[in-house]
Amino acid sequence: MNARRLRAIFRRVVSEFRRDHRSIALLFAAPILMTGLITFIVREGQAPSVTVALVHGGSPIGQVVSDRLRSALEAEDITVIAAVDESAARAAITNGQADVGVVLPVDLGRPGATITAITNGMDPIGEGTQLGIVRGILVATATAALDAPLPTVEHATAYGVPTDDPIAPYAPAIVGFLAYFFVYILTGISFLRERTGGTLERLMATPVTRGEIVTGYTLGFTLFAGLQVALLMIWSLGTIRVPAIGPLPEFAIGLGVATAGNPAVAFLVVLLLAVGAVSLGIFLSTFARTELQIVQFIPLVIVPQFLLSGILFPISGLPEILQPLVGLMPVSYAVDGLRQVFIAGADLSSGSLQLDLLVLAVIAAFFGLIASLTIRREVA
Amino acid sequence: MVSEVLPDIERDPGARPAIRAAGLVKTFGTIRAVDDVSFDLAPGRIYGLLGPNGSGKTTLIRLLTGMARPAAGTVEVLGVAMPSRPNLSRIGYMTQSDGVYPALTVGENARFFAAAYGVTGDAAVLDALTLVDLADRQGDVTSTLSGGQRRRLSLACALTHRPPVLFLDEPTVGIDPLLRVQFWGHFRTLAEAGTTIVVSSHVMDEADRCDELLFMRSGRVIARGTGRQIRDRAGTDDLEQAFLAFASENGVGR
Repeated sequence: MNARRLRAIFRRVVSEFRRDHRSIALLFAAPILMTGLITFIVREGQAPSVTVALVHGGSPIGQVVSDRLRSALEAEDITVIAAVDESAARAAITNGQADVGVVLPVDLGRPGATITAITNGMDPIGEGTQLGIVRGILVATATAALDAPLPTVEHATAYGVPTDDPIAPYAPAIVGFLAYFFVYILTGISFLRERTGGTLERLMATPVTRGEIVTGYTLGFTLFAGLQVALLMIWSLGTIRVPAIGPLPEFAIGLGVATAGNPAVAFLVVLLLAVGAVSLGIFLSTFARTELQIVQFIPLVIVPQFLLSGILFPISGLPEILQPLVGLMPVSYAVDGLRQVFIAGADLSSGSLQLDLLVLAVIAAFFGLIASLTIRREVA
Repeated sequence: MVSEVLPDIERDPGARPAIRAAGLVKTFGTIRAVDDVSFDLAPGRIYGLLGPNGSGKTTLIRLLTGMARPAAGTVEVLGVAMPSRPNLSRIGYMTQSDGVYPALTVGENARFFAAAYGVTGDAAVLDALTLVDLADRQGDVTSTLSGGQRRRLSLACALTHRPPVLFLDEPTVGIDPLLRVQFWGHFRTLAEAGTTIVVSSHVMDEADRCDELLFMRSGRVIARGTGRQIRDRAGTDDLEQAFLAFASENGVGR
């Protein structure tokens, strides 16, 4: 090791990096922003607002427990609405009027009586928190009101069946998010090459329109995104049993996540999201001069989507100040749409799925438009 | 699709200039990269745009092709005011960087640009590749080509639509003398077939291969004429000396 040469290399690295203001800004700002956001979400995450649909079940003791439960819940700022029976409670949950249904049985107080707690089933993590709060108050109230041993509380969901597969809540979200992430990186870098390699300048000297370029790119990358998503779907939903061959034991390929809905509909959701990611990649490539800078956008553009789309942190538990941002995250619509399909078994006739698809299409069209505006030429 | 109706230039060649610039100005901040440039260029001739680096050659070519919009002044190419997207189908533009896709083959690159220009059929693509002697290399991936071969491919990509007007931005930079001679041979062939060619260079020894020269300095055209006329006017046989003479005469010397 020669000290002079070593010093020269060290100095070159420092002076080159010093001139790259964006890298420096990101080096210091990005970790602060990200750790700040995560800490904020975890620390300031609110106890989610809960509305309970309460069914007293008709027995005198049920009336008493129901009244006490209502005042105990309301003391905790939980809204309580009355429902006549279990199906009314389920209806209140599926149409969004209530988060948790508590159904007291007719035989409340007798041995073997079971209280049913119903949640939607679409957001298992967020609902788990809501259910936990209600269940705590329910147990305390019921124990005080009844002289009998505590009845069992059984969890049911309006959609799907409560599953103990720990990956089930995450699978739809992760499929959508990964597709978005990879398509963004691929398009961003390849369009950046187009800009820096001189081919875009040259393409602009032909009668090709900007819209043709963006649409052509979208079609090309959507093909690969489509193949990727299809493979990802097969991988996560399917299970292929490979029988024992010779010394190899039997094993299974695929994650085998259960889905209630049609995988083709889920595919459509992710594909629309991917189309938006193509335009986003083209748009952001304007602001990058090197491939490194495309990667540098990840903490600014991709990570917030991950944190604010209900993938890890349930949207209902996000700090109130961040809630409006959720609506701006394209991924959040795909995650919602995928849960509709995977868990609620929604098909294309479902209104809320149609809304998700519509928003994703609008986002894709919007970014496509601004992406084509970033391709500069005097003759549009 | 190019749907706009373009004036028919084949019917009456020579009736009007192929390229007309009037009072062109382009500024970048306080710098006047192109400063009040006006000229008429006749069809079927080779015009050499000569000047040192930073004299405004590339910016002028970008204005002439409609890639940039002038702060003042107008450009007409084949009688159509630029910028005009449909008119681009009649203009060939070889950029300073090769501007070809390294991962595509030679044939794929040429066919891609041909399609972008709206060319149907393969004849023009084959002609262009034959002209630059790459017709038998069509299946080769571009990234495996030598620098000179890539340059030739870049030229072919600008010719796939048989443009009547051709802009070449420093086409011979970084290529060996033999290839340079070949390139000028191609340019002459095209000009004899009626193509108007504007070729920029900062190498004075290429000047005599042009029909006419335009000397550029600090964004202005400081002299125009055939090599002979310029030498006579400057009173020197050396074009570099002539350039310096015109530069100091115009008060824009070093």
